Amino acid sequence: MNLRAELAIIGRGARMQQRVIGALIIRELGGRFGRYYFGYVWLFIEPMLLGAAIGLLHYWRDRPTAFGPFEFFAIGYILFFVFRGILNRAPSAIPGNQALLYHRHVTLPDIFFARHIIECIACAGVLILMLFGLYVVDGSIPESPIKIAAAMALMALLSQGLAFLWASMSYAVDVAGRFLQAITFLILPIGGLFFLVEWLPVWAQEIMLWIPTVHIFELLRDGQFGSRFRAIYDLYYVAGWIVVTHLLGLAALRITRQRIGLE
Amino acid sequence: MPEGQQNWLKWLLRKPFLLLVILPTLLAALYFYAVAAPQYVSEARFVVNSRSSDANAQMSAMRGLAGAALGGFGGAASGEANSVRDFLTSLDAVMEADARLDLISLWRRPEADFLARLWDTEPELLTRYYNSMVNVTLDPTTNVTTLRVRSFRPQDSLTLAEALLESAEALVNRLSERARNDTLRLAQQEIDIAERRVLESRSAMVRFREQERDLDSAGTAQAAVALRGQLEAALAQARAELTERLQFMRPDNPALQVTRNRIEALERQIVAERSRHTDTTAVVDNAVLSRQLAAYERLMLERQFADQQLASATASLESARVEAQRQHLYLARIVQPNLAVYPLYPRKLTNLASIFVVLAIAYGIGWLLIVGMREHAA
Repeated sequence: MNLRAELAIIGRGARMQQRVIGALIIRELGGRFGRYYFGYVWLFIEPMLLGAAIGLLHYWRDRPTAFGPFEFFAIGYILFFVFRGILNRAPSAIPGNQALLYHRHVTLPDIFFARHIIECIACAGVLILMLFGLYVVDGSIPESPIKIAAAMALMALLSQGLAFLWASMSYAVDVAGRFLQAITFLILPIGGLFFLVEWLPVWAQEIMLWIPTVHIFELLRDGQFGSRFRAIYDLYYVAGWIVVTHLLGLAALRITRQRIGLE
Repeated sequence: MPEGQQNWLKWLLRKPFLLLVILPTLLAALYFYAVAAPQYVSEARFVVNSRSSDANAQMSAMRGLAGAALGGFGGAASGEANSVRDFLTSLDAVMEADARLDLISLWRRPEADFLARLWDTEPELLTRYYNSMVNVTLDPTTNVTTLRVRSFRPQDSLTLAEALLESAEALVNRLSERARNDTLRLAQQEIDIAERRVLESRSAMVRFREQERDLDSAGTAQAAVALRGQLEAALAQARAELTERLQFMRPDNPALQVTRNRIEALERQIVAERSRHTDTTAVVDNAVLSRQLAAYERLMLERQFADQQLASATASLESARVEAQRQHLYLARIVQPNLAVYPLYPRKLTNLASIFVVLAIAYGIGWLLIVGMREHAA
């Protein structure tokens, strides 16, 4: 067994995995929206409607902020939608696709990757559309699009790691999945969507900065209007969360896969 | 021994955990324990205070860190503390310290190891390096700013910390001086304006008096009115006397002539009195008098206002002086910079442990992903 042969096998596996994920994406889309052409549009409309609704609600209710409330809440909500969309669908991922595992080439992470890629593309599309719409309507340009994209990617990765863990957990213990709705609901007010860390008193800042999504939202706002406030975030902390949840999550998925095999 | 060497390499390649995690950790350990130069830390703590909390701060300073930890600073100025922190991490502070101490040679001592020593000497890159070696943190609850300076010799750390503290002190004094001057200058300007107004009103008064040849128009007018009243009263009395005497005297009685003469004299006197303040007629006479009176009263009012303004400006200058006394800022040292004995940096064990943990986690994820890929090819 030499290195070159090993690399060749891995390369072949990678190409195969790519094709499996591609196929799973198509299957997932078909399963979720039916095979009508209009169905795919729903993918974009759902986050857009929710984001726009939240944004408009705040736009009418509270005007006197330094930032446009629509920009603040609608764009923020898209990011939250990534988190919510990925996590809420996590518990159903394994039971819903268990039959696929009879194909030797399909692995558990593939199923998750396919779903998460769909969510990411949909939300990124809506994000770009909204930013463009904002530019057209009142000519506001985000200060650093790179930071917005980075926030989006970090949010997707964090949700992915948590989704791995959560799916394995709810497969092992059925009740865990039921708590999830409640937890994503609870994280909404404290997850950083509705405030800037700067607005909080010092003691509350210290508590809030334990929550990884708060850092990601700060990064997003820094990208949107960084020069108008003091953003407080630590990307190493977020990276730590992502890395640790991925490690534990991927390992948990392997364990879960063996348990499925035993049945 | 190329054969043996190759075998050794192959063996290593077959143990990826050793290659990717253990080996880098060992290399790091080699660096930290054999190569890395010891770095000495000099630490100082200070608060930026205003004078109102003078006694309090000195007491706390005497109690040292314990006092600071209790957070007993009433008038600590946190805005200025933020400015001091921003200044100490800025290019400006670096240039100031560099001019005084030659930072480049300080961080390029021969004992410095190749990874930790200063390489780039451009001001911006020097500032970046400076910020990795000098750490300024402000505790927002106690307002204590902590300054930590690292270098390769204990004496260097101490002198740099001392120099930074001195330039921070200079900054605070500059800020304080500026604030004080601003407050006082505004009050002084107010006084100048009020004084000018008082002088103007006085000179307007003098001009008016010269013009009208009258010291006190109101008094004059009053006196004139009073005099006329008296004359009119006397006239009325004389007329009544005449009418009374006509009852029992013949009109050509010479005794009546005296009374008639008095009436005539009084009438003449009244006419003369009326025409004194006048050009020609009695109507104009009243108008002139009242105009004069109005102008006089306006001037009096102006003088009163000016006096009041001056009084209030003087009072506000006094309170501005008090305020400026209170605004007097100063930097109170709580902990003097120390001369390090034991090198606290680099943190060998902490760094090694974190390198190991990070590599192990990254390896774990990589392994899981690659094994996942391999499964597809099986």
